[in-house]
Amino acid sequence: MRVVWSILAKDLLLEWRERARTLSVVLFAVVTLLLFSFALGPDVEALRAGTPGFLVLALLLSSTLALNESFRIEREDRALEGLLMRPVGSMAMFYAKALANALLLTLLAPVVVGLAVVLYSLEVGPPALAGLVGCWALGAAGLAAPGTLYAAMTSRLKTQDVALPILLFPLVVPVLLGSVKAMDLVLFGDAMNQLQSWVSLLLAFDVIYWAVCGVLFRYAVEEGE
Amino acid sequence: MGAHARESAVHASGLGRRFGRYWALAHVDLEVPYGTSVWLRGSNGAGKTTLLRLVASLSTPSCGELAVGGHDVYRQRAAIRRSVSLVSHALYLYAGLTARETLAMWAQLGGTAAAARDVERRLDEVGLAAAADRRVGEFSAGMRKRLALARALLEAPRILLLDEPFSSLDRAGCELVEAWVRRFAETGGTVLMASHDHERSRALCERVIDLEDGQIVGRETLRATGDPS
Amino acid sequence: MNVRRSLAIAGLLLLVVGTYMGLFVAPPERHMGEVQRIMYVHVPSAWNAMLLYTFAFGFAIASLWSGKPEWDDRLVGAVEVAVVLNALLLVQGSIWGRATWGVWWDWDVRLTTSLVMLLLFAGVLTLRRMASAERRAQWSAVATIVAFVDVPLVYYCVRWWRSLHQIQSSPETVDPAMVIPLRLNAIGILLLGVAWLMARAAIEKARRRRDEAPLPSRVIVKETAHA
Repeated sequence: MRVVWSILAKDLLLEWRERARTLSVVLFAVVTLLLFSFALGPDVEALRAGTPGFLVLALLLSSTLALNESFRIEREDRALEGLLMRPVGSMAMFYAKALANALLLTLLAPVVVGLAVVLYSLEVGPPALAGLVGCWALGAAGLAAPGTLYAAMTSRLKTQDVALPILLFPLVVPVLLGSVKAMDLVLFGDAMNQLQSWVSLLLAFDVIYWAVCGVLFRYAVEEGE
Repeated sequence: MGAHARESAVHASGLGRRFGRYWALAHVDLEVPYGTSVWLRGSNGAGKTTLLRLVASLSTPSCGELAVGGHDVYRQRAAIRRSVSLVSHALYLYAGLTARETLAMWAQLGGTAAAARDVERRLDEVGLAAAADRRVGEFSAGMRKRLALARALLEAPRILLLDEPFSSLDRAGCELVEAWVRRFAETGGTVLMASHDHERSRALCERVIDLEDGQIVGRETLRATGDPS
Repeated sequence: MNVRRSLAIAGLLLLVVGTYMGLFVAPPERHMGEVQRIMYVHVPSAWNAMLLYTFAFGFAIASLWSGKPEWDDRLVGAVEVAVVLNALLLVQGSIWGRATWGVWWDWDVRLTTSLVMLLLFAGVLTLRRMASAERRAQWSAVATIVAFVDVPLVYYCVRWWRSLHQIQSSPETVDPAMVIPLRLNAIGILLLGVAWLMARAAIEKARRRRDEAPLPSRVIVKETAHA
């Protein structure tokens, strides 16, 4: 645990030090949201109906930036290899990196959700806002686990910018559907009490992938024969 | 492996590493007793770095056996990594951290309280005390190298692996490294060092291994283990 | 080699007989008519694609567990064959959809899941292509496991997602004349698929061999001592 915290603290400190870069992820998410709005035209009703989708797509698209960035710092001076040389354990390494990524992606929520509320004149109270951020956080956690595993591999490739999305996006279809549906129910009412099942689906995805990827991370970072 | 492996810091027999169609290392038989300093000599591409990476357990052999500190490289990587430190071409530094933060983090990862207390002393030793709160990204190549060495020693290894320790260092830096490796060796540490700096390496090491095209082509004993030069 | 050939021949024979029965012996289906006959390849393709993905999952675990390259050979065989069947599955499903629902694509649970599945495992093959030789086996296995675990999750979420629009087709009582060609084709495709998997694994093994240069001959070591 202490080791997880040391690596996590290092990641967060570096994010903070290089906040210009971190900020670019935020800006990217905001721009994405704007573009979706333009693509759907000025009909506020239609835009409002599409809000959950726009939000989750903004999260999804910015996640690849954040994930690639998270391993760029490890690759620059091959620091990841240095971490491997310490009696750290690849599992601790995975959880530290994945937590840092999940946290960073979750921190996008207030900005992007806030912007959506303003742009689409959403009438939401604090509980609904909290619900939206909660769905966002569950989605972010779902992206962070497989995303960290895959980014650790693709960061070694010249084609990393393409490789990560083509691996990650099909995989997170359940996350996408789950968060969109859950946000939709939070925003526009949950007549049939379905919210719980979607949240459970997201939770199930999160639990499964946080466990599986933790075990597999070793094989992603260690050199084979 | 048996008895040999337990007595030696490094024991290799028939060790080989292939990358695709190319054997970076082959037929390596090596016996390094504890407390010995070994100089790996050879031109670029001779297999020095590959050998050091294998001993560090960062790379898996394609054939042969290899034990480091009595631990099998195929099955006991964690144990090997506890006793080995590697200073390679890449220095494993984060540009955004300061020198002090860097050492503090590695000390935490090593898990000993002693290491955490050592941070200031190590910074002082490598002459980085004044720059302790500057970010590594602003450091010169020489300063980065010194920091990497300080980090390696902070880990309190039994076996120190150095890949070109003198490159990108000025004269003072080289002397510092030399003094340091000597002290480490004198206190019973084992050193495996790849270097192009013949003069310094000859002065530091007791044994020479000549590598050429991935094979050991010569062994030279410069002096008995433990003898001052 | 002989096993492979016998499997392939047996599979082909079963497939020919099964397809003949499906096309000419089995009665046409009541509601869908002749188009329904595509089921005799469609359903076996689906079963076998799933089965081969499951094989791949098993091979991936074995590959990581043992570190033996043979498992990786089989893994790539299984994934490639499954991806081809999966692609066929989509084409057949699309044709069926056109004939029965009047559209080439319907966001049906199974069709959608198989599309996502194809993308997932195509990703595995892409990653494999891009990986360096010493990481290829491990990365392929990791990606296969991660992708395989996703399949049930995708299935359930697409099902819920669609739940308001679609009623699951309930299994009707089926004429035995329909069951037999279905089973024959299923086994036929399975045998062919396994033979193909084995052939692909053999190719992979041969490639590995080709890339394995023999150990260079040992040079003589010169010993010098100054002590």
